[in-house]
Amino acid sequence: MNHPVVERHPILDPEKAAPFPAAAFQILRNTQLRKNVAHATDVIQEKRDRLVAEKADWQELRSAGSALRMHLLENLGHYLEQFEERCTATGGVVHWAKDAAEARAIILEILRQEHATEVIKIKTMTSAEIQLNPAIEAAGMKAFETDLAEIILQLGEDEPSHIVVPALHVNRTQVREIFARRMNRPELTDDPKELTGAARTFLREKFLRVPTAISGANFLVAETGSVVIVESEGNGRMCLTLPRTMITLAGIEKVVPRFQDLEIMLQVLARSATGERMNPYSSLWTGVTPGDGPQRFHVVLLDNGRSDILARGRERQTLKCIRCGACQNTCPVYRQTGGHAYGSVYGGPIGAILTPQLMHLEHAQTLPYASSLCGACYDVCPVKINIPEVLIDLRAKVTDKEREEERRFFDPMYLGMIIANFFFASAARFRFAQKMGRLGLRLFTRKDGWIHYLPSIGARWTMTRDLRGLPDQTFREWWAGRNAGRGKEGR
Amino acid sequence: MRASLFITCYNDTLYPETGQAVVTLLERLGVEVEFRPAQTCCGQMHANTGFRSEAYSQAKRFVRMYQDAETVVIPSSSCVAMIRDQYPGLFEELGNEELRREFASFLPRVYELSEFLVDKLGVEDVGAYFPHRVTYHASCHGLRALHLGERPFKLLANVRGLELVPLENLDRCCGFGGTFSVKNAEVSSAMLSAKLIDVLTTRAEYCTALDNSCLMHIGGALHRQFAAMRTLHMAQILASTEATPMEATL
Amino acid sequence: MSSSIGSREAILGKIRHATGNGAADIAGSYAALERKYVRAGGLAVEERLALMVERLREYDAEVLEASPDSLPDAIRAMLDASGRRVFVAPAGLPAEWLVEGFDWKIDHELTTSEIEKTDGVVTASFCGIADSGTIVLHHSAAEGRRVISLLPDWHLCVLKASDVVETLPEYFARCAEPPELATYISGPSATADIEMTRIKGVHGPRFLNVIVVRDEAT
Repeated sequence: MNHPVVERHPILDPEKAAPFPAAAFQILRNTQLRKNVAHATDVIQEKRDRLVAEKADWQELRSAGSALRMHLLENLGHYLEQFEERCTATGGVVHWAKDAAEARAIILEILRQEHATEVIKIKTMTSAEIQLNPAIEAAGMKAFETDLAEIILQLGEDEPSHIVVPALHVNRTQVREIFARRMNRPELTDDPKELTGAARTFLREKFLRVPTAISGANFLVAETGSVVIVESEGNGRMCLTLPRTMITLAGIEKVVPRFQDLEIMLQVLARSATGERMNPYSSLWTGVTPGDGPQRFHVVLLDNGRSDILARGRERQTLKCIRCGACQNTCPVYRQTGGHAYGSVYGGPIGAILTPQLMHLEHAQTLPYASSLCGACYDVCPVKINIPEVLIDLRAKVTDKEREEERRFFDPMYLGMIIANFFFASAARFRFAQKMGRLGLRLFTRKDGWIHYLPSIGARWTMTRDLRGLPDQTFREWWAGRNAGRGKEGR
Repeated sequence: MRASLFITCYNDTLYPETGQAVVTLLERLGVEVEFRPAQTCCGQMHANTGFRSEAYSQAKRFVRMYQDAETVVIPSSSCVAMIRDQYPGLFEELGNEELRREFASFLPRVYELSEFLVDKLGVEDVGAYFPHRVTYHASCHGLRALHLGERPFKLLANVRGLELVPLENLDRCCGFGGTFSVKNAEVSSAMLSAKLIDVLTTRAEYCTALDNSCLMHIGGALHRQFAAMRTLHMAQILASTEATPMEATL
Repeated sequence: MSSSIGSREAILGKIRHATGNGAADIAGSYAALERKYVRAGGLAVEERLALMVERLREYDAEVLEASPDSLPDAIRAMLDASGRRVFVAPAGLPAEWLVEGFDWKIDHELTTSEIEKTDGVVTASFCGIADSGTIVLHHSAAEGRRVISLLPDWHLCVLKASDVVETLPEYFARCAEPPELATYISGPSATADIEMTRIKGVHGPRFLNVIVVRDEAT
């Protein structure tokens, strides 16, 4: 099976991205990336595991977090309306965007009304989801990322590969090259401290000058209409304090019912995301505070497929996600491929269930299969999303779509499954299939009793693994023979 | 004590010696073993690949077949996980009240092999002898779905002559994942290459597990590389005694 | 924006369709949510304060202890040790904290460039959370606007011992009502974006100093 060649900088657009096996095939040859990904995920995991071990009530926090998020989703309409009412009462303007296009249009309109020529941004996956930056550029404005990883990616014309550490696939030499070229600092060495200092200087003047900022939200508090931003570097604080206008883009599922609920979410988020008891800076603001921070504040609430996920019984739990990235850090598949292979802003286990659903299963159909179902993600998810369960359900939905398509007759995997089911339906058929299989595979069995090569789907196994030839006697044949010899019938 | 052996479709066809070892072991412990020849498959492969209605028809057949069995023993944690974790959903969505009742009464009688030995028979020393250096790989279903925990370690600790070498990154998936091994063969192989590093570093003679699926994958690569290590199911280690030593045929 | 209003109804309509009208008694089902996690710590006062100081020092914050009477001296000592001269102070900072010998810029609507020219800032705080070494600012009059504890490179924060709690839930329990503005500081800013190498001090004050005031009968 030959995979199509993938472009050097993969587009994280699920409508255009290569299927996961094809994307992974090329990325696996990038040993530098695999080393970086393994190192980064090891570091965070080790820190996370240590902190979780010391937290005696970790499981209780997970249970409470899961129950809280489920309650929120079950009453999402109520809490969104409450948030809107409170946010508006405190000086914010709330907009509703049913899809990415509408969200972009709303934001561009605000920017136009502001006569904005530049925008500074706090890292937000949601803005990447709606492909905001290209739209801003197309409208003749400049969008500056201010998160260190995001600058590395923006200046390097690259794409994020991890929810929390988006540039983990880039090493220091590559960063040095990007900064030297794009910041016009040829004298820079590859010392991370120096590179970080270069970013600090590069950004300082922007923070002090650009009057319009765009953020995401880690949490929206319904009770008060507040926004919470959790970060490490301080660029968030800069963007949410200095400009005149703030636009916050948030998925509708970001709401928590009450301020007090943050006592659960903040405890699990930092430990899961970066392996810290608390991240360096968290900020909360409510509407507009005269004399302090942006005096114009907009919130854009984004649906973009979330309300559809909400409607599905087993899949609703996908929306519990608080974007901690712990699932990515522990996933043995992600460890080998990094995020780009998933062809979406959201990669790893959460991406494998979220992206296909946001695409209404019309795209990203290979993502639910991009998993060995090992369950490590479920173990670490701070809000107990049963990702394997959702993966299996999505596979069933993808297969149901395939059942209606002509192409299924040409898909050896599909045919194989239908045929296998036929043979599993009775013991007589199964025994027949076993005998036929044993006969047929004899062709491929070498003198040492092993198979080294098989055709078609079998070749996907034998490309890296041998297969022991089928023994001359199945277990049931042995059992029947034993019992005949003993004059006793097995039932 | 009677135990009905569900050998699993792949063990039946590919690893009959594992089934033979289970029979030898259980009979040595005084269990009367029966085998229902109507058995074929539990439906896991179809369920996990998205063929839900096919999986349901196999699940229905499975439950009906074992309705009156005293206990069902299965030397495969992934199959037990299928029954415990996915059968409820299948019967809820596609089944009827009667089937759900049958399943509910049947479920407590299903055991993975190490669960049967430790929990049901209350035995941790099965009287085995296997004088070799061995490392144990924790299959994901056994580890996370069945929470087998210490059971396999307790059983191995009591095998005379056995030197157990701990496996680094014990809980990291080997990359088999059922049809994943073929649909995503490259990533599966990349995960396997990482697992092989840990396995080979132990310098054990044998890598064992409670699932032949993982061992088929790990062992297939070991064989391809002419590595000085083989795989074998733990049932074969536990069945091995001075009188009837088991060697891997893998 | 009429399209946005139409979208509002459309989105809420889809949500209602997906969830029904939610729980009949939302407040009741919220109140019934299980919260078996630790709501309050078990450390005695001395241990709690020691933990707070330990966590702060893990972040390379400078920490001094003082009594309410010796507080101004402690402030002077820290400002002296910093080698800096020009400090921003919130308009509501207690007068006795504005120790002699330094150039104080009181924040009566200072401009950003005026703040940029200062060397450091001194503020009060709302509370400290020992478990995570977190300093909480609610930006009251004595804590100041957010910009003044953000732009200067050096921040001295005065934390009363009676305001130190052990766990995060205890902080929330202290809030009679939710704050309008809050900043939670748990160490200097940091990034690990380049090869997971932890670099401290990206944006925001690179130097954090804390005086723990032993008020109450502790």
